[in-house]
Amino acid sequence: MSKSNKPKTLEEKLDLTKITTDHNYAHIEINPEICKAKCTTYECVYGCPANCYKFTEGEEIEGPVVFDYVACLECGTCRLVCPHDSVDWKYPKGGFGVEFKHS
Amino acid sequence: MSEEFDFDVAIVGAGPAGISAALTLAQAGIETVVLERGQYSGAKNVSGAALYGPILNEIVPNYWEDENSFERYLTTKKITLLSESKSVTIDADLRNFAQVPYNGVTVIRPKFDRWLADKAEQAGAMILLDTMVEDLVWNDKQVIGVKSGDEVLKAKLVIIAEGANNILVEKAKLAKKPKARHFALGMKETYKLPKKKMEERFHLDDKEGISNEILGYSKGIPGGGFYYTNQDTVSFGLILNMDVLTKKKLEAPEVFEEFKEHSYIKKLLKDAEMIEYSAHIIPEGGFKHMPKLYGNGVLVVGDAASMVLNAGLYIEGINFALESGKVAGEAAIEILQTDDYTKNQTKLYKKKLKESFAYKDLKTFRRASHFLENKMMFTYVPDLLTGLFEKLLRNNGYPRKRIVKSAIGYVFKKGKLFRLFKLLIGAVRSL
Repeated sequence: MSKSNKPKTLEEKLDLTKITTDHNYAHIEINPEICKAKCTTYECVYGCPANCYKFTEGEEIEGPVVFDYVACLECGTCRLVCPHDSVDWKYPKGGFGVEFKHS
Repeated sequence: MSEEFDFDVAIVGAGPAGISAALTLAQAGIETVVLERGQYSGAKNVSGAALYGPILNEIVPNYWEDENSFERYLTTKKITLLSESKSVTIDADLRNFAQVPYNGVTVIRPKFDRWLADKAEQAGAMILLDTMVEDLVWNDKQVIGVKSGDEVLKAKLVIIAEGANNILVEKAKLAKKPKARHFALGMKETYKLPKKKMEERFHLDDKEGISNEILGYSKGIPGGGFYYTNQDTVSFGLILNMDVLTKKKLEAPEVFEEFKEHSYIKKLLKDAEMIEYSAHIIPEGGFKHMPKLYGNGVLVVGDAASMVLNAGLYIEGINFALESGKVAGEAAIEILQTDDYTKNQTKLYKKKLKESFAYKDLKTFRRASHFLENKMMFTYVPDLLTGLFEKLLRNNGYPRKRIVKSAIGYVFKKGKLFRLFKLLIGAVRSL
């Protein structure tokens, strides 16, 4: 048992969750055009419990936010909080994605 | 209409709602298939989690005889208010709940859902795992099956039990895309805590369990923390209204981490080892924001129908999932006898559901979700009550006033009396 009470980082926490990534299919996609044209509030960045949405660092080539589905916990928050319908949200294909064991 | 059907009933989702429907149908000899996108039942599911014993007992009689069905039966319920470096807890120790069928039991979803799915399979239902249903199959305005990849599976009735992200319910035109303010984000961590240590820490005997709802210290965001004891793990989490969270521009994982910094939580989780992190949305719109529960060839159950109740003392979903699944199964048995799967007959499900505790509870507490959006509940009230206890108990060498006088004085000094009064009226009306 861990004797250390040092809090785990989000990355360390996400490492505990078993995720089978489907490298051929991104179950969630954002539309950078919409994000760039309309978004000033970035609800996805604040709402995501797995930090899949991050502010674009440096120059905004594509849009203000970058998204990676690999650590996605499939909660559904981003789909609901985006006021511009820029999040095309689907479930991963059967057998892929999170596989909770203790939740 | 002369269709060739593969099954009488196809159920999307092998959570408690879907499985409860499948079990009811299979026991009546109905050809039933359940399509589950996960690697097993419960692989995608996140809950507190606890459910009511009497309800489970209706679905699986004498469930407690099977060790795998539950973790611990609940004998202690705590409600805690947190503010900066303070907490006040109401501790209800109810030993009467220690008798079968038990008032409440804690469960681990991947374990519980699989156990329940096994029951449905034993009764004759077919469960297809790793199977994602992307769409419905239509014949004009009638749902006649489901689609997974290139595969089409036709069924006389489709029961949607897909969970809180109810994409198919939208596709069935029974709901529009819901609003964020009617949803909460739940984040959860599961901790390993050896059985002996857990029982010492929480003053539990073998198999006894505790649940704790925790209000306050969530950055003023409506919601709250919780923990439930399992056999040798603790389920701990924080629920936050996602609309307020994102409007405040606070990152969810950080709010969770800061919540855990409170000494009350730290003591709770001391020396326990985190073994899993999970998250899910929770429908909290309540009765007023439920989708249409039936259509031509289709019924909606459980979280997919927003059948979740948040009334402060109770945050319930599994009970309603089990019950609505059972009622949908019973209705489907009757509907199948008529050979008419249009709304004329599927409305029977709603009629039956209206008689169930699930629908009645949601209706009784229909104002609760609005009341619990009141931010005072999550900031002012915990501050006021924890502060009041500190004031009454602190001894700084001066002679003390009478308790009641001192308390009234304190409440007056904190101000916001009119709003507090309004809050109390709101509580009386909604809870």
